[in-house]
Amino acid sequence: MSDTPQHSPLPEPEEVQEQPLAVSGLLGRAITKTSSLFAFGFLVSMATLIYEILMRHVFNSPTLWAHETTTFICATGFVFGGLYCAARDKHIRVVILYDIVGPKMRKTLDIIISIVCMISSGFFAWAAWLMVQRGAFTPSGDIHLETTGSAFNAPYPGILKVFLLLILIVLTVQFFVQAVNYARTAPIMPAKTGTKD
Amino acid sequence: MFELQSLGIEYGTLAMFVLLLGFLLTGMPLAFVTLLIALIFTLGWFGPMAVPLITSRVYSFVSSFVFVSVPMFVLMAAILDRSGIARDLFDAMRLFGGRLKGGVAVQTIFVAVILAAMSGIIGGEIVLLGLLALPQMLRQGYDKNLAIGVVCAGGSLGTMVPPSIVLIIYGLTANVSIGDLFTSAFIPGFMLAAFYVAYVLFRSYTGKNIAPPPQTEKIPSAEKIRLLKGLFLPILVVFCVLGSIYGGIASVTEASAVGVAGVIASTILRREFSLPMLKAAALQTLSTCGMIVWIGIGASALVGVFNLMGGIKFVSSLITGISDDPTIIILFMMLILFVLGMFLDWVGIALLTMPIFVPIVKDLGFDPVWFGVLFAMNMQVSFLSPPFGPAAFYLKSVAPPDISLGDIFRSLFPFICLQILAVAILIIFPGITGR
Amino acid sequence: NAQEFTLKIQSSDAAGVPNFELEQEWAERIGTMTGGRVEVEMLPVNSIVEHAETQDAIAAGILDGHITDTSYFSGKDPAFGLIANPVGAWSAPSEMLRFVEYGGGKELMNSLLNPRGLQFIGAVTPGLEAFVSSVPLDGVADLKGLKMRAPEGMVQQVFAAAGAAPVNIPQSEVFTSLDKKVIDAADATVFSTNQAMGLHDVAKHPVYPGFHSMPMLEVSINKTKWDSMPEDLQAILEMSVRDLAHDMEARLAMKDMEAVAAARKDGGVTIHNWSAEERAKFRQIATSQWEKVAARSEDAQKVYDTLVDYLKSQGMI
Ligand code: NA
Ligand code: NA
Repeated sequence: MSDTPQHSPLPEPEEVQEQPLAVSGLLGRAITKTSSLFAFGFLVSMATLIYEILMRHVFNSPTLWAHETTTFICATGFVFGGLYCAARDKHIRVVILYDIVGPKMRKTLDIIISIVCMISSGFFAWAAWLMVQRGAFTPSGDIHLETTGSAFNAPYPGILKVFLLLILIVLTVQFFVQAVNYARTAPIMPAKTGTKD
Repeated sequence: MFELQSLGIEYGTLAMFVLLLGFLLTGMPLAFVTLLIALIFTLGWFGPMAVPLITSRVYSFVSSFVFVSVPMFVLMAAILDRSGIARDLFDAMRLFGGRLKGGVAVQTIFVAVILAAMSGIIGGEIVLLGLLALPQMLRQGYDKNLAIGVVCAGGSLGTMVPPSIVLIIYGLTANVSIGDLFTSAFIPGFMLAAFYVAYVLFRSYTGKNIAPPPQTEKIPSAEKIRLLKGLFLPILVVFCVLGSIYGGIASVTEASAVGVAGVIASTILRREFSLPMLKAAALQTLSTCGMIVWIGIGASALVGVFNLMGGIKFVSSLITGISDDPTIIILFMMLILFVLGMFLDWVGIALLTMPIFVPIVKDLGFDPVWFGVLFAMNMQVSFLSPPFGPAAFYLKSVAPPDISLGDIFRSLFPFICLQILAVAILIIFPGITGR
Repeated sequence: NAQEFTLKIQSSDAAGVPNFELEQEWAERIGTMTGGRVEVEMLPVNSIVEHAETQDAIAAGILDGHITDTSYFSGKDPAFGLIANPVGAWSAPSEMLRFVEYGGGKELMNSLLNPRGLQFIGAVTPGLEAFVSSVPLDGVADLKGLKMRAPEGMVQQVFAAAGAAPVNIPQSEVFTSLDKKVIDAADATVFSTNQAMGLHDVAKHPVYPGFHSMPMLEVSINKTKWDSMPEDLQAILEMSVRDLAHDMEARLAMKDMEAVAAARKDGGVTIHNWSAEERAKFRQIATSQWEKVAARSEDAQKVYDTLVDYLKSQGMI
């Protein structure tokens, strides 16, 4: 082990693969473009929590908004993260069967999986719409975004429900785009090993 | 609509497992497999009007405060990975463990225990160790399987070593003291970590090419001091996080943000900080969290549907009908937890089983605190056991591409055995919990 | 004697909490009283949907009903927060129950719930909550700058007005935060449950009887389901809820007193009891906040008007 005690030059920070999957099409590219905004949210959450600790511990005046806001920002990140992973095919898959079958069958599987995911996302988008009807409107039909009900009382629950609806719609479209593109591309020849990455 | 209700809850449950396994094998993304099964059963059992149950669970899952610590830990990992801090840390650790065969693996477990004391949830730590410890161990010539096992098993300790969100949720469900739960979990948690250490040493000394040969040449003092410097910043960060928790400055979740701030400050001190680096780390956090959280979302939705189908009543009658012998009932519960652990995330398992098990355990006259620790120990198994092993998934998301899920699960087998041994010891010698 | 109605009712209590057992016994009694025509299945908190989502789930027909703290829905309309826990209005369960049954509370609840697809059957309450604190508190002045956890709803606002520094941490972090002194005090629940959860091990200066909060738990079911029930079953449900209110009040009070006696005997815990004067001072601050909540929505104003009229008619304010 001659390499260890020496300071080797720092490895280049490995860039997160900015390129979306080819099959995700234009939409995939748009999702990847938007991703920085939500990634940035995690940094904002961190800063918010530090601010809260300072205010509470040093100035003895905890905020009423920090925890709610952090939870909300992270929640939008989690929801968007699911879409982001779908666009770049980063969700974990168990590929035992997928690896055994030939390229043609794999193409068929890719198409079917995309269609099934599209149909379920579509159902969820519809269900989210029903949820939004109660979370963003009063019984008399006026717009009223559901609030947290705390002293700060931000409309985070209402916004998050609407956001979830939007993301589920985009997710449905994304799976549709993937299904179409899988159907159009030629089967991939060499079997991929291990989990798709 | 297909009338799934006519299956009855018994065959319905069976069909659920079969479908789950079937869809898993097709290569469909895991998160969508559980969501799809939840959808099929909602539609088939209750009709389309019940589908908002699933979106409601998705909404609730993503908006719970406890999960805020997951992105914080992942962010910490992603920044450390892009700086030289981690490498220097592991180089410095060789000073201590270098004379021991398997020393760095043992130290990784040691680091894992410290991380476990810093957080109450798993996910982030496995990502952290997967980015830091795994490449270092592979670089130093450790057996791939041993290194993977150490990272996944060690990284899962977060819910066994207090503070632990599993124990907190158990305490709230069972109406028992969370302080008692934490106190009782300490020794079992360390016992499990000690098992891992013993196993690593055993393999290192008995196996060929398991661990690099111990260091024999003496390191000059100047070199030692230079290496020790590498320990300074990481120890400072750990000190800040643990200090803010145990010094009453921050809650457990807030402390994870302190860790991120500490790591960012360290990169600035080391002149390794740059905005593109921070952006790349944040993007990786988005991707990893999207994956981790959506796996949990699916499991949570599935359990909600199963409970609505009458799952609670079914499982509870299953258990009470099995035997009059309390020990057999406990063993049967362990079996249920083990089987569920193969298919569900811990949040789903806790949601499903705690409300059922707790009243039975109390009725049988067992100590609910002891059972809480036993429950947490069982969840350790669930993190590793295939086909649904979150620890393996989290590691896979950051491991080198040539390490497949199959490799990971193969590596985890001995560690699962150690966890089952720990469960058995807790049952045979409940006194270990100090109760 | 065929079974005519199955009601899946989600509680806001966890499976191992005494309150949930009482609710399960209530469910069994309904089976007996209706000769098996109504079967009630009690589901513990979060088992089908999360606690704040039950109202929507009932409206959608996913759940049939809930027994839950009405203030969880403050975010839908502040009116829910005001009627659920008008801090300072009630000093005993019977006072709140009288208002609900005979003082216009029931009609008010239905005017809020019916448009949302729910029918209010009745109210129950676990009783006056005890306050958990690691520092001695003997009056309103001691609240100044107190770092404390308070949940969503009126309670948080009232404590802020009383000079405390409310922190918005979730229930799952209350224990560790108290233990590590991140916070000094917390609005948790009744004395016996706080004691069982070990809160008094880390916060040794509880205030009992509490001064700050007595949550109203509503028992409501899906309105369509309610409307489809024959009158006899409706009457049985209403009466059974009235009995549950008595059951819950009495048995939880007994548990509280047992726990208090045990805590006194064990030592180590100092129980503080506020004087009538200090309680009145806190009530004064609390009632001043009602108006602020009332201004937030039309329905909240309606709740305020009815509540104040009632209290005046009874000479309580
Ligand atoms: Na921990
Ligand atoms: Na598992």
